[in-house]
Formats: sequence, C-alpha cells, structure tokens
Amino acid sequence: MSAPAITPVVVRLKLSLLRNGLRQSGGRRAAYIASAVIALLFAALQLVGLIALRGFDHAESLVVLLVAVLGLGWAVMPLFFPGGDETLDPTRLVMLPLRPRPLVRALLVASLVGIGPLFTLCLLVGSVIAVAHGGAAFAAGVLAVPLALLVCVALARAVAAANVRLLTSRRGRDLAVLSGLVIAVGAQLVNFGAQRLGSSGLEQLGPAADVVRWIPPASAVGAVHSAGEGAYGAAVVQLLLSAAALAGLLVLWARSLTRLMTAPDGSTLQTSRAAARDRTSTGLARLLPPGRTGTVMERSLRYVWRDPKTKAAWVTSLAIGLIVPVFNAWQGTGSVYLACFAAGMLGMQMYNQFGQDTSAFWMVAMTVSSPRDAYVELRARALALLLITLPYATLVTVLTAALLGDWPLLPEALGLSFALLGAMLATGAWTSARFPYSIPQEGYKNVAPGQVGLAWVSIVGGMVAAAVLCAPVIALTVWLNAGADGDAGRWLLLPVGTLYGAALTLLGLRLAAPRTARRLPEILAAVSKG
Amino acid sequence: MVGADTVGAGAAGTAAVRVRGLWKRFGQQVAVAGIDLELPAGRFIGLVGPNGAGKTTTLSMVTGLLRPDQGTVEVVGHDVWRDPVEVKARIGVLPEGLRLFERLSGRELLAYSGRLRGMPGAEVDKRATQLLDVLDLAGAQHKLVVDYSTGMRKKIGLAAALLHNPEVLFLDEPFEGVDPVSAQTIRGVLERYTASGATVVFSSHVMELVESLCDWVAVMAAGRIRAHGPLAEVRGEAPSLQRAFLELVGADGRDAGLDLDWLGGGAR
Repeated sequence: MSAPAITPVVVRLKLSLLRNGLRQSGGRRAAYIASAVIALLFAALQLVGLIALRGFDHAESLVVLLVAVLGLGWAVMPLFFPGGDETLDPTRLVMLPLRPRPLVRALLVASLVGIGPLFTLCLLVGSVIAVAHGGAAFAAGVLAVPLALLVCVALARAVAAANVRLLTSRRGRDLAVLSGLVIAVGAQLVNFGAQRLGSSGLEQLGPAADVVRWIPPASAVGAVHSAGEGAYGAAVVQLLLSAAALAGLLVLWARSLTRLMTAPDGSTLQTSRAAARDRTSTGLARLLPPGRTGTVMERSLRYVWRDPKTKAAWVTSLAIGLIVPVFNAWQGTGSVYLACFAAGMLGMQMYNQFGQDTSAFWMVAMTVSSPRDAYVELRARALALLLITLPYATLVTVLTAALLGDWPLLPEALGLSFALLGAMLATGAWTSARFPYSIPQEGYKNVAPGQVGLAWVSIVGGMVAAAVLCAPVIALTVWLNAGADGDAGRWLLLPVGTLYGAALTLLGLRLAAPRTARRLPEILAAVSKG
Repeated sequence: MVGADTVGAGAAGTAAVRVRGLWKRFGQQVAVAGIDLELPAGRFIGLVGPNGAGKTTTLSMVTGLLRPDQGTVEVVGHDVWRDPVEVKARIGVLPEGLRLFERLSGRELLAYSGRLRGMPGAEVDKRATQLLDVLDLAGAQHKLVVDYSTGMRKKIGLAAALLHNPEVLFLDEPFEGVDPVSAQTIRGVLERYTASGATVVFSSHVMELVESLCDWVAVMAAGRIRAHGPLAEVRGEAPSLQRAFLELVGADGRDAGLDLDWLGGGAR
C-alpha cells in the first residue's frame, strides 16, 4: 500500500486546531488576534527598520547578531512554553502507523504555519534586504531566507522532542514557571545592553559579529553579505554551514521522535531514583531558633528554593534588585540611593504570605489559636526573609557605592534601605492578613481570576504606604544633606534608619497578628481559589 | 494517656462533638440547612451522604476551617470559635480538596506539623518514624509530597493528623481514590486508634465502607441530617445500609436500566 502523503493532513490538522482553539472563547480569540496584530506590526516595523538600515556601516554586524538572537529564541522557546502546539506533540501521534521520515517532513511543514514563523520570515527578509548588495547577494538571499527559517523551526522542534520527557514531568513544569523570570531579567539586560550601545556606538558589535556570522542560522545571512562583497567562497561555506545544521537537526529530531514513539511515556515511568539524600536535618536547621519560629523559618526557606512560584518571585526580585542599581552605577549614571531598590524589591516578598502557602494554609490555621501564635508565625516568616534580604541589600549597597566610588554616601543609603525594608515588611505583614489572594500553581498567572483588584490594592496600596512610612527618614536625609555643616551628622542615618525600620516591622507584625488570628477561615477561603 | 480518659468519658455518654443550629449558605445555595447533632465519644462515626450533601462543608465548620453563618459547635466540651486554644490542640484533621505543604518531603512535613503544634523535636521525630513505618511510607519518606500518589497523600495527611495524638480525628473522604492496599493500612491504623478510646469522625459516600467500619452513623442529604444513631438503629429492617440510605433519601425503587432492554443479551 502506498502511504498517502501525510504532509497536507498534518497541515490541515494544525489549521483546524488553530481554528477550534479560537472558537472556544471570545477572550481567547481576542487575545490571539491582538497578539497576532502586535506581532505582525512589530514584524513590519522591523522590516522597515532593517530596510532603512541598508547602507549603514555596521548594518551587517547588527543584522547577523539579530538573526543569532532570533535563533536562540527559537531554541529556548519550547523549554519555557511546552505544550504550546498540540500538532507537534509527537506523543499524541504514537498510535498512528507513521514512519519517522515522512512524519518529520510533515511536522516541519506544519510548524511553518503560525505567527512565529511569519514573524521570523519578515525579519529574515528584512535582514537580507539590509545587507544584500548586488545580484549575487540577492541570489544568495533567496537561498538564505528559507534555509534560516527552516533551521529556526527545526531547532525548536529538535529541542522540544529531545526534552519531551523533561517537559511532561513535574520538574519540567516547574521549569516552565520560571520562564517569566527569564523574560523579566532578559528584558533588563537587553535594556542595559541597548543603552550601552547607544552611548558607545555600534562598532562594539564587530568582534561578536565576526564569530556569529559563521554560526547557523546567522551564517545564512552572513552568506548574503559575503556574496555582496565578492567573497563567494565564504558565502558558499556559510550557506553550507546552515544547510549542514539543518540536516543535523533533522537527523537529531527524527532520532528522538523514534525513541519517543517506541519507548514508554515518561510520565508513567516510576521514578526509581527515590534513594535521595537524607534531608532530615540540614545544617541550617540546627542554627535556627527552636519552637515555632525555627520551624516556620525552615519551611519558608525551603519553599524559596523548592516551590517554583516562590523561587521565580525571589529570583526576579534578587536579579532586578541587583541589576538596576549596579548596572546604573557601572555606567556612571546611578546614585548610591538607587541601591534602596534592592530592599524594596525583596521586601515585596513579604506581601501575600498566606497566598504563597496556597490552600495548605489550613495546616497553619489549625495550629494558630491565639494572636500570639499568629504573631510568632508572621515574625518567623519575616525573619526568614531578613536572613536573605539583609545581607543581600547590604551587599548591593556596598557594591553600588564601590562602583560609584561614593563611599561617604554608604551609611545613609544603608540606613534608608533598612528603613524601607522595615516599612515593606510591616505593610507586607498587614496586607497579608487584610488582602490575601490566591496564587495559581499552574501556568504563568500570579493572581487567581476575580482577585486581580485585591492583588493590586494590596501591592500598590502597600508600597505607597511603605513610602509614606519611610518619609521621616527621607526627610531627615534631605535635612542633614542640606545642613550647613554637611557631612557631620550623616552617618547617624544608618542607626536611625535601622532602628526605625525594625520598629516599623515590629509594629506591623503586632497589628497584623490579631487580624490574622481573627480571620483564619476568611484567609483560607481567599487563598484556596485556583 | 488520652485514651483512658476518653474511654471513661465515652462510657459516661458525653458528646465528642455537639452541633446546634448550624447553617451555611454560599450565595443562593444553601449548603448546610440547620444541623443539630451530637456525636458520642469513643466511637467510629461515619458521616454518609451523596455528593453535594454538605458533608465537607459541615466538617469544615466543625473543625474551624470555615465560619458558619449561624449555629454553634462544641468539640469535647469547648466552643470551636470562642475557645480555639482548647479545641485545636485536641483535634486532628484530614480535609478533602485542600493541599498539604507539598514541597516538603513526607518526613519534613511531619516534622513541620508536629513542631508547629509545639511538640518537642525528639518526640516528633520518634512518632514520625513509627507512623511512616506503620503507614508503609518509610521508603518514600524523603520524596517530596508533590510526587506522591493519591493514596500516599492520604496516608501522609493521616500521619500528620495523628502525630499529636488528638482526642477526636476528623477525616474527609479518607478512602477516596485510595488503592485497596493503602485503604487496608489506613483502616488498620484507625481501628487501633478507636480501640484505645479515641473518636473518629469520617465522611464517605461509600455505604459498604461505612457499614463495615463504623458503629455509629449520621446520614446527610441536601444539607440536613436525615438519620443518626448506632449503625443497627439507622439500618433498621433494611438488609443493608445502602438500602436504608436509599429509602431515607427517597431514591429507592428507582431501578435504573429498565428502559435499556436492548443492552446486553443476544440480538445486537
């Protein structure tokens, strides 16, 4: 029996899945259309921008790097957005009698359908126009664009297939939750990179581009440039590199597909590596205070590391709290006061404490029977947070001061940081009791549907309140700096800020505790949604 | 130590749980419509009823996890809402549909929950080891609870509820989704526990299970208590609790399948 071509079948399957997905709900359709419009608008702007780049000195460096970043994006995307494309989940096709080779062809063609590939296509066409000079270059471009596009798509597929086992396991899903963080931190880094380029010129890209133009898929675009310059040999080699990469990726993909479709599903395999390390008593546990305080601190700290949502929030806070002041200082544009950012970002982790517990909060509720219990519980959580935050905020402040060489400002910046941290802990404890909300454990959302308003009130209100609470210390700073005798009393801000912050925290905990003890069932109900 | 006291109390006929005029509405829907109930101490008590009868809502209110709209609840003579210190130390709870701290290992979860109740660390660790052994979880004690199966979760939840040796144990659907081997283990532990004079209150919609385990039952339907008392009394003349229950909720005689005369048999 001659097998009918399965490529059109798979492409049609992809189109129907897309259509049916849109039919499911109006909101989903609107979201899809909006994202499509934005992506296409962005693609069009890129296209125009790239065409406008034509003829500039460093256009080639920029374009080659851009394509390399694009390729990188395709490679990591399946790791962070698993299950985004059902047609491409080979485990769903296991029961069908398909040979790997036609299947790979069909899936490759099907994965060219969608906004992502279209966006990539626009970008690649723009890149070719930006660097192509002369007929030979355009001829190379005609080959380069499909080649680069196919490399991108095959890269994503090969990575996804190689990682299906990971992506269908809990660890894989945990990893996916961290994707938001990669985007947040990546955006900061790109922002600073762009600023740096803006201030010191594009020639900085040269050395990087010299390497990258030989790496597929960027080598395809590099070939267009080489052909334009008359370096036909180089152009052919660069195109061949891309073609070889494509072939290699397809072989890899086919191999992992075959393995996937013949081996048992990862999710049904018993994990036999249960002989894990003995975690009963870690070194940390012995250093923590006894009783409820130490118990709660230990659990909180374990969750920072083990719970993907908590971890993502922490890593984002730690990264942004470091990047903003230190990178600004590095460029010589910042001020030591910016280091307060670290304290502010980390203080945010005190917000919605019970939401972070999810409905497991009942275990806490069952053991809180008086305001005193609630106070110890909240204080222990604040202490766990301080254990990380205090050294970290100090480190960031010292680093910022060192980079700026502005040592005299260090004590007062530290004092301000600690005051702000205290205010954040105080407002965080209070809003945890007053405005708890659920954090869904699956997916990327950090607020359950219907509680968005609550979350905003809690976070924005809390931060404004924290700023207001810090006003006396800020005022003192301004007053001391404006004073005639200058530096004399400014070191005072360190002890004053620290004490003020500590006092605020204690006050916040005292106010939050009775409210927590009184509202246990209401808090449990609020954090159990989703 | 608790056992001896409770046996005495049970013999004297004191109530482990006393509920008066308990109401709960969720929007338009009445989940619990005025319950009055006294559960005797020292018994294995089953709260039975179909899905949606209000069992979980009732147990949540009795254990202090959900605030009732009206009514009072007393557990071993102390008001749940006015005197939480006395009540929370004396009860153990295994709720349904609420998570545990799943990113802890089984052993860490027990250590956490025992120490949170103010028990000395060494005692917590000793009891945890024994509970993990008896419940057949020793091999998985260092695995994160998030990677546990349903049966293992119920067992570790039960261990956490028993750790502080409560006088009254509330279990919401403890056998739901549990494999027969784990179910037998849970059963054994609970039988040993009640034999010492403690009280177990558990909810289920599986009548056979309740009939074989309990000596006292309360039947719930549509937010009300339809019958309560010793098992034999509630069962009455009926051949099984299942029959008695169907009569009580008025679903008897609805013999499903009369219309499906084509189903099975010879002609297709």
